[in-house]
Amino acid sequence: MTKAAVAGVGSTPYYFRGESAPQTIFELIGKAVMAAAEDAGIAVTDIDGLVFYSYGFDAALIVEQLGIPELTFCAVVGGVGGGSAGVLDLAAMAVETGRAKNVVCIGACQQIDSRYGTSLAGLATTPQGILSLTAGLVGPGQSLALVAQRHMHKYGTRREAFAEVVMASREYAQTRPEAIRKRLITLDEYFAAPLLANPLSRYDFCIESDAALAFLVTSSERAADMRQRPVNIVAAAHGGSRDWGRAFFWLNMPDDVFASAGAASIAERLYGQAGISPDDIDVALFYDHFSPLVIMQLEDYGFCKRGEGGPFVEGGAIRPGGAIPVNPHGGQLSECYVIGMTQIREAVEQLRGTAINQVPDAKLALVTGGPAPIPMSGAILGVS
Amino acid sequence: MADITSAPDVAEIGIPKDQWTEPFWQATALGELTLPRCASCETYRWPPGPFCPSCRSQQVEWVPAGPAILYSYTVVRQPAAGGEMKVIAPSLVEFPEAGGVRIVAAIVDTPLTSLAIGAALTLRWNSSGEDNVPVFAID
Repeated sequence: MTKAAVAGVGSTPYYFRGESAPQTIFELIGKAVMAAAEDAGIAVTDIDGLVFYSYGFDAALIVEQLGIPELTFCAVVGGVGGGSAGVLDLAAMAVETGRAKNVVCIGACQQIDSRYGTSLAGLATTPQGILSLTAGLVGPGQSLALVAQRHMHKYGTRREAFAEVVMASREYAQTRPEAIRKRLITLDEYFAAPLLANPLSRYDFCIESDAALAFLVTSSERAADMRQRPVNIVAAAHGGSRDWGRAFFWLNMPDDVFASAGAASIAERLYGQAGISPDDIDVALFYDHFSPLVIMQLEDYGFCKRGEGGPFVEGGAIRPGGAIPVNPHGGQLSECYVIGMTQIREAVEQLRGTAINQVPDAKLALVTGGPAPIPMSGAILGVS
Repeated sequence: MADITSAPDVAEIGIPKDQWTEPFWQATALGELTLPRCASCETYRWPPGPFCPSCRSQQVEWVPAGPAILYSYTVVRQPAAGGEMKVIAPSLVEFPEAGGVRIVAAIVDTPLTSLAIGAALTLRWNSSGEDNVPVFAID
């Protein structure tokens, strides 16, 4: 069967929240798409498929502005962060079934008129979600603080472990030119910061930023004739379990799912599709909107046992040369937040061997979406 | 002095309702906290909605929630009138005798140092002109 590969990556510069003005989000998207086509070595007019990640981008406006003559495939992954890696799943399906030849996946954010930190507030003003507002629970960081608190209670996880996730991301970001937060922080600085949503301090929250990224997905055969080393989509999944679907608003997940990242079923499908185990993964690109969720994803994705994520990271596992290097680009905590898209870019750079903080001889990379309301998503990318 | 928790101003928020959540608010108006249970298979459901997720029945009965315990909590600070900061503890409250259903609610009138997972909670009300919103305290 035809397999799909990422053949091109494009990105705008990374901007702190609001600093991408006066460009519009569609200008950012256009620049990212053109850069992805250029990187792959194809014309923009050869693009015949569009996959967006959420936020209702307008297909007609994009094809009009870029002069793309005809789409044979156009689809959107829903959700608010969980579905980011799902663009690769949709694009791969389009390519593998022959619906389209050159699919561009787009993810972008621009926080000028609204800030994503209160992104759940709109969804909470429904009859089914209103108790969140009357309880004062208005942002994803606050819902996930409840999860982090429970993880600490259930497994004895310490704030030192959250600090280690932040400090490790800064160590990586220090050498990453694009990174917005490069300064190393100490454990003392971490503990001196006021809590924004107990047990989370501002260091545990990702950056608010603006950027657009685009990925050109085509068949492995066509990718081999393009400009870059093809990065194969080895496995991709989006969806998720009902148990985790209760997160964020109703929070009635079963107790063992509550203190997790909600990704266990996605992990199982990915490893099953790829025919591999966590030991085979060389580098993990976790969606790190809040530091404790990196720890819970390490558990969900099988890099350590359930409940042991805290000691695992405190032992240095996610640092350079550790058991599983995590987010060598600095992640959303330190480099830039573009709803998971920077994780896909870093996976491709690692597998091409062109990453700034290159994991030696990386052959398989895990990319995740969420933890956020379903759809959740993930992908395994690889080079042979 | 330790910080004491309070609740958001309900009048500013307003409570949207539909036919499946209306009975919850009718009961709270009378000072009663009730939860929806399937009248066919007795599975509790949350949030209130048109179907039982276990048997798809549309029959609902509203039963008293019973004792409450603190399942998890966070603490946030919000600007309040007069330049003061309100200390709010958005929490998850579990009802062990109602199938373990949990609802989110603010913990009020409680020193931050008393917040502890597993603590027994006492029901209070955060009232606006129209609606009674359940809040809880640790005595």
